[in-house]
Amino acid sequence: MVDLAVDLGFICLKNPVIPASGTFGYGEEFIPFFNLDQLGALVLKGIYKNKRMGNPPPRIQETSAGLLNSIGLPGPGMKELKKIIQRVYQSTSTPIIINVCGETDQEYLDVAEYFDGMEEVAILELNISCPNVKSGGRCPAQDDKHTYRLVKKIKQSVSTPIMVKLSPNVTDISAIAISAEEAGADCISLTNTFLGMALNLESRKPVFPNIVAGLSGPAIKPLALRLVWEVANNVHIPIIGMGGITTGQDVLEFMLAGATAVQIGTINLVEPAASIRIIKEIKETMEQLEIANLKELTGKLHT
Amino acid sequence: MRDDICNIVENIQIQGEYYLLKIHSEYISTRAIPGNFIMISTSSAMEPLLKRPFGIFESDPPYIWIYYQVVGKGTRLVSELKPGDNISVLGPLGNSFPPVTNQSILMIAGGRGIAPIHFAIKKYQKENKISLIYGAKSKHDLNLLDLLKPLTLQVLLLYSDDGSIGKRGNVTTDLRKTIQKSGISITFSCGPDNMFKSIYQVTRELKTRDYASMEALMGCGFGICYSCVIQTRKSGYQKVCTDGPIFDMDEIAW
Repeated sequence: MVDLAVDLGFICLKNPVIPASGTFGYGEEFIPFFNLDQLGALVLKGIYKNKRMGNPPPRIQETSAGLLNSIGLPGPGMKELKKIIQRVYQSTSTPIIINVCGETDQEYLDVAEYFDGMEEVAILELNISCPNVKSGGRCPAQDDKHTYRLVKKIKQSVSTPIMVKLSPNVTDISAIAISAEEAGADCISLTNTFLGMALNLESRKPVFPNIVAGLSGPAIKPLALRLVWEVANNVHIPIIGMGGITTGQDVLEFMLAGATAVQIGTINLVEPAASIRIIKEIKETMEQLEIANLKELTGKLHT
Repeated sequence: MRDDICNIVENIQIQGEYYLLKIHSEYISTRAIPGNFIMISTSSAMEPLLKRPFGIFESDPPYIWIYYQVVGKGTRLVSELKPGDNISVLGPLGNSFPPVTNQSILMIAGGRGIAPIHFAIKKYQKENKISLIYGAKSKHDLNLLDLLKPLTLQVLLLYSDDGSIGKRGNVTTDLRKTIQKSGISITFSCGPDNMFKSIYQVTRELKTRDYASMEALMGCGFGICYSCVIQTRKSGYQKVCTDGPIFDMDEIAW
């Protein structure tokens, strides 16, 4: 028997597989496909204080083995989300992670405080890295001082553990990660989408009204793997790796590079039960490679 | 709704880039209702990444039929599927045309939009009087007429932009007259967006209920990615995949 459990220090997960924000709805959409209790944890779609419409269409464009999106975080607002959580997760044992969004530092704080202490909520993931909200793709995670200030402020106000979601669109991701750690982050998740573009030759216009968009999917896996490895070499808090994961082997690679757990993103859109297949593949690969305990794998890359 | 590996039974080239695909799916075929669609993986590799949406042309348990046009990479790969191939199929998805009985329904199909309309006629013809307006660019794009023959139609009007089949014109050429003459109380349509708009100009004026099966650039098909939105008058952006694909045209922000 192989042991898939992983330990984030402040919480143990039965396995390292966590569907990522924005690719798993509010979770209930996946109930027809599998029992949510099988997951290590799950992240709900990003939430702001108030209801948001999101960006005007078109919102996606397929790329080679990838997906550009400019969805713009539509959502019902935090009060409605709380009702959804109370309705859906009464009998679910899987830890729920809230993806906290904000247009201002104060809004991040308001949303974080609103969900703080809610019984069903295990972790608050600070989405300081969405590229689709402001024009040019700017976000707090592109500035180490802003990251420090924001994480510190929230950490001082809430007791729920904090996961800080980093942006790959920076020159030195370790500097941002260290800022988050110094500010008191309990763990780090990376990476959010890579800034990209799509153009229409005939109209000579960008495909997306917001001009830039975020790239995800298998195309970014090597890029994300490198960032996880780099951050793992520079911080001591657990890392939740993500970026183009589609198989159990991918998960083990991210763990070897330094991740303690992983998030599964774009593949959820294509294959609703991908997370369950991936958990099965992790088990199979561990047996093949004679890895008895998944905890032993994190950061054990021979370089 | 289920995501299953399904077997391809037939993939028949009708004409040029138009095909009929027969898929074995006990699950979908016994649950599908007119307006529903499915998402098909076009490749077992990750390229193209996303599944592709197709309206259901007919459900004949344990089979479903898809009528499709090759328009890009995904549909070209679908056209290359052979009997015996296995593909991943998600469905049935979406809402359906409203339940009506003892009405005169006018069905309107533009080009490949005949797919959900054909399914709707088959289901609604028992309890309603059905008329059909079917139009396309040319004879090349106006297919499956032999499959319409067994249907119980009060009126069948064919149009082509170039006059190569039926009357020269489009589905709205005689729309007003047809609605008035045949005592139509409700229309079901499927076709391109500009067709819906032209139809709605007439139905709004005549106060005829108007439901359309709409298309949008779709990512997942089951309400997760929020890509396929259209602007509605009262409810903001609505998802074509789960709030639709059938919409009351009065609700669309034209």
